[in-house]
Amino acid sequence: MIQQTAATAAAALALAKGVPGSGLQAPKPKFFTPAEFALVDEMSDMIIPTDAQSGGARAAGVAAFIDGRLAEAFEKDEPQRWRAGIQAVEALSQEMHTKTFMGSTPEQRLALLTRLAAAESDPKTPAEKFFGQIKGATIRTYYTSKIGIHDDQRYKGNVIQPGDYAGYDAT
Amino acid sequence: MTVIRFRASQDQEVDLGRTYDAVVVGSGAAGGMAAHVLTSQGMKVLLLEAGKKIPIEQELRSMEWPYDHPRRGEAPPGYHAIRFNEYNVRQPPYATKSAFKHVFSYVGGWGGSDYVKNILVDEKDHPYTGTRYAWVRARLLGGKTNIWGRLALRLSDYDFKGKTHDGYGEDWPISYADIEPYYDKVDLYLGISGHRENLPHLPDSLFQRPNKLTAAEVTLRKSLATMGRTLTPYRAGVTTDGVKNRYRSKCFGRGACGRRPGGCDIHAAFDSPTGLIYPAMDTGNLTLRTNSVAHEVVVDPSTGKARGISFVDAQNHKTYEAKAKVVILAASTLESARLLLLSKSRQYPNGIGNSSGHVGHNFCEHVMGPGVTGLVKELVGAEPTLDDGKPGGFYVPRFRNLQDKQPGFIRGYGFEGGAGFSIFPDSAWNTPGFGGQFKKSVRDHAGAFISMGGFGEVLARYENYMDLDPAVKDAWGIPVLRFHYQFSDNEKKMCEDMANAGKEMFEAAGIEVVGVDKNILTEGWSIHELGTARMGTDPKTSVLNQFQQSHDVKNLFVVDGSSHVSASCQNPTWTIMALAWRSCEHLADEFKRGNL
Repeated sequence: MIQQTAATAAAALALAKGVPGSGLQAPKPKFFTPAEFALVDEMSDMIIPTDAQSGGARAAGVAAFIDGRLAEAFEKDEPQRWRAGIQAVEALSQEMHTKTFMGSTPEQRLALLTRLAAAESDPKTPAEKFFGQIKGATIRTYYTSKIGIHDDQRYKGNVIQPGDYAGYDAT
Repeated sequence: MTVIRFRASQDQEVDLGRTYDAVVVGSGAAGGMAAHVLTSQGMKVLLLEAGKKIPIEQELRSMEWPYDHPRRGEAPPGYHAIRFNEYNVRQPPYATKSAFKHVFSYVGGWGGSDYVKNILVDEKDHPYTGTRYAWVRARLLGGKTNIWGRLALRLSDYDFKGKTHDGYGEDWPISYADIEPYYDKVDLYLGISGHRENLPHLPDSLFQRPNKLTAAEVTLRKSLATMGRTLTPYRAGVTTDGVKNRYRSKCFGRGACGRRPGGCDIHAAFDSPTGLIYPAMDTGNLTLRTNSVAHEVVVDPSTGKARGISFVDAQNHKTYEAKAKVVILAASTLESARLLLLSKSRQYPNGIGNSSGHVGHNFCEHVMGPGVTGLVKELVGAEPTLDDGKPGGFYVPRFRNLQDKQPGFIRGYGFEGGAGFSIFPDSAWNTPGFGGQFKKSVRDHAGAFISMGGFGEVLARYENYMDLDPAVKDAWGIPVLRFHYQFSDNEKKMCEDMANAGKEMFEAAGIEVVGVDKNILTEGWSIHELGTARMGTDPKTSVLNQFQQSHDVKNLFVVDGSSHVSASCQNPTWTIMALAWRSCEHLADEFKRGNL
């Protein structure tokens, strides 16, 4: 069984959001502050959002996985790089919209990410570099998640093929 | 589906008071083969392995989903794999001053480092010095065969008689006709998957069921055929139809082989323990001692013959001696050379078997790095298909300097490649932007890429060599190897041609080239190290005769890749095993005649 049911997808979504009344609470972050976690969760979900095909980074629990890895990181400059990157995004948000990232409107957040992504091939500011960092971590985490592998990519492998291999003969 | 596994026969009690018929150092492809052939001939063999015997199936867990692993396959904090930049910016030893608790060669960084953390050596315990070199080592029962890349190719007389063909280097003391029956034996005993192509420069094996190709690979195969070149399904040292061996299953196309550094927990891919060593134990003639770090071939001063092996127990650090009538080194190209050089005595002041001064010299391997990535536009947006459920992608055999003569370089190279959907959409790394458009683009393009990378012959040169470092020692107090090796102009010119030819072939097939990599990877990257104790007819310029027997010491054999005269551009494992089979048959005959 590789297809995720709608019910478990909904539960994952509820878990990540800590939906009131759902009976599910988002677990307390291990490294990030709640505010930092909210920013990482939102940014990752803007990078890989839910669409008609599959759930996005939030549903896949990307921020929680990143948080867990940073909490146990051996190289302590790695979590510090994340913290500094988040602060750079907040500073840019203040500069652009005089609001925190999460206090901004969805349109304002989109404007901020669009500005960072424009410099993707040659990032210079700390915020631009952070975009590459969080995008890389989101890609790595999302496409190794259940949702990423099965719902989005609809990966057909890692199964036992008792007969012939799938594919074409070399004729 | 339940795969039934048999427990290996009980290890025989190790009796160091006894003189065995033969002692074999190393349990990888070469040592496993020596153990198999000699025990089947009735000889009593002691096999020494420096590493541990580990429950390998529990390590490899081939079908574990990434999300079922707490770190998505990564090793716990404190483990580090050396990166390309570290190899090139720093000088060996790479790990001595590292702040990390454990340091591995680059293979640990392929993704899935948790699956190889008990297989690869910890570089902190195993330093080496000299010129930069990415040395990949696995110390455990079976050595690197536990995670090898499985490409199983034959050499031809273009390789064995390279000097006759182009004037460079030395011919091997054997020809294809000498080794062909032993390639056949290896094929039949261990199983190999492939498609017959009737190429003189890449002889066919006795193949079991071949891999299938993906749509993009079929496109390239058809186009290459019009250029007189070949794309053939990956020739994998994997049994696809099964072999008579109760420790191994046939392949079920589960496809974990490409997603991690390798390894097969049902042993459809050849590995030395299940393919060779456990069956050898079943004869009752094999005794295995693990955790036995050999550091000297001991000489009988009265006869000048080898008397046995002195080794350090890796756990209690005590030194022991194993006695045998014949000594066989199969510790890997570099470790066997190290062992010969370490074995200094009154009779052999430069190391045993080294009257020629050639031990450690004539090093050769494969150069890699250049490659090409292409996009097959017709496949963008295609329904996902099962493309990676097989032991490998494809191989493009050598096409340079066969009939033609290239202006810039001699010898040749082949390409290894793959195409289609896999468990992780690598193109995501290079897809710009974010949001719904990014996500859809990754999804639509996931199965539309094809890529391949070259493996080229590094010429064997006397001046590329390894010796013992006069000061640095490993964790067991044994002097380490010091490298004196770098690529030369021939390799650099060849690598330029690899990138250009790869691009041309994709373009000719109507594949849009989206990336051309021209960078050469660090020396050693191919993990195909060869030479250092080459065979030959002249004892002044070679270390071993055509049966991998020391010219100087008749009861000493070196049956691994160190005996190879040239690297060819084909992957060496199958040749290592065919040669070892041939030599050990000869050895057993000579032993029975009392000639050793």
